[in-house]
Amino acid sequence: MLKRFLDISVVTGLLLGLGCVGLSLLGNPVNSGICLSCFLENLAGAMQLHGHTRMSYLRPELIGFVLGSFVMALATKRFRVTGGSSPVIRFFLGFFIIVGCAVFIGCPIKMIQRLAAGDLTAVAALLGLMFGVWLGARYIKAGVHLDRDRDLPRINGYVFPAFAILLLVFLFLRPSFIVFGQTGPAAQHASIMASLAISFVIGCSAQRSGLCITGGFRNLFLVGEATLFFGVMAAFVSALVLNMATGHFHLGLNGQPASHTEHGWTFLAMVLVGLASVIIDGCPFRQVIKAGQGDVDAAITCFGMLSGAALAIGWSIRSTSAGPTFAGKVAVLLGLMICLTVVLFYRKSLSVVR
Amino acid sequence: MDWFYRINIGLLIVLGLTTAGMLVNHEMEAMGRPSTDQSKSAALKKKYEDQLAKNAWIYKEVLTLEKKGEVDEAINRIKKIMKSRPEDAYSLVLLGRLYYKQGHLAQAVHSYRKAIQKDPDYVDKNTPLFIGDEIMKLISSARGKLNREKKLKPNDMQIRTAINDIYYLQRRIAGGCE
Repeated sequence: MLKRFLDISVVTGLLLGLGCVGLSLLGNPVNSGICLSCFLENLAGAMQLHGHTRMSYLRPELIGFVLGSFVMALATKRFRVTGGSSPVIRFFLGFFIIVGCAVFIGCPIKMIQRLAAGDLTAVAALLGLMFGVWLGARYIKAGVHLDRDRDLPRINGYVFPAFAILLLVFLFLRPSFIVFGQTGPAAQHASIMASLAISFVIGCSAQRSGLCITGGFRNLFLVGEATLFFGVMAAFVSALVLNMATGHFHLGLNGQPASHTEHGWTFLAMVLVGLASVIIDGCPFRQVIKAGQGDVDAAITCFGMLSGAALAIGWSIRSTSAGPTFAGKVAVLLGLMICLTVVLFYRKSLSVVR
Repeated sequence: MDWFYRINIGLLIVLGLTTAGMLVNHEMEAMGRPSTDQSKSAALKKKYEDQLAKNAWIYKEVLTLEKKGEVDEAINRIKKIMKSRPEDAYSLVLLGRLYYKQGHLAQAVHSYRKAIQKDPDYVDKNTPLFIGDEIMKLISSARGKLNREKKLKPNDMQIRTAINDIYYLQRRIAGGCE
């Protein structure tokens, strides 16, 4: 029992939960200490891929996750460069994962943060995510798999970490073409060094553990294996304890930061996130970590997610406190249709699978 | 190592050194100038100062009428200004404030909501426009009254809309990544 408790997934979960609340306390937006979709939206704005300066900031946490994973993979000789598994489909599923997150207002990690802060509107998101993952697990059992990946020349694996290093250079040199918004969420951030240090440690630990929010549920539903799920629970419990200790726990449906009460759309958006994440094997956080350890398919997914983040803001395919936009609702349905189409095309007969 | 590798490695070194030299030179030149962040902060500060001064000038009469307690006349003046300046969120802030004084809570809440949707700086603690405390005061007095009215008239759409507006204002003031 103690050995299970001290599993690296649980340690990563604890770090993630503490990092989420800790970064909010240090200056990141409330309940957004760590949110991959918000960070990608901020990054897209910083790169002028959308024009909403309130959402434009080069979040150091993204860089820390990638470089943490990269360094840990190199140090433990786990840097394995693979790719070639349905790249275009992964790009578009990455795109729609962020659209789903934007309609809920947060990635699966932020969902945990919101639940741990007492935000009951995130319950619909949890149910949606679990249903999406359960559906994905059923499809895997039925023989749905994207193409097999293969080993690629080593240089391919260095591209994404090099992109992260370039962003790090931009973060410190602040060239004029990178926008750092001075109002709204863009102006709310922890210090660069604190963000980098915390995210680097989490990135290292996540590379070792393979912690993934959707992966935790998937393994539980698919084979009854709970290691990653305990990591997810550890993230929730540590965030909950820290929120309660610091007076940031406010139980309720109304008045929660960056939330809305259109629970049906929240549910559907997170079904999309859960299902698409199972198809491409990992939640947004896991995709970033995998991209750092040489997974080229995950890197392509990350670029898809970045495109999704840019258009989610630029085309208003998202939700605000007033609820989801019309474009956001249509995009969620479109994303679900694309997931189901992919599932139909990639179902291999069970005899072949076995 | 054959000639192919030698030429390519040589080219890489030349290009790398040239790029690094250009960047260092650019940074050295930029060191004497105020940083982009500093000039952006100064520009933003100036923008808010100008906006506050402009508001004080445009709404001078309205503010005077408000001080005198002539709320109806002040509302009429604002509505006239709104026709010529429909983009101005400050009209809605003042309108909300005046409706609150008249006791028209549902209309007050709705005006504040529209103001924030037009200009989210009004709920951004980092800007001098922040009026979150003023809105919270309104919310705390309006919430109980509107909930009681909802119990008496459960199908009244105006009351329902007002309660939704209150929840919206609470969510915006609570902050978050939006």
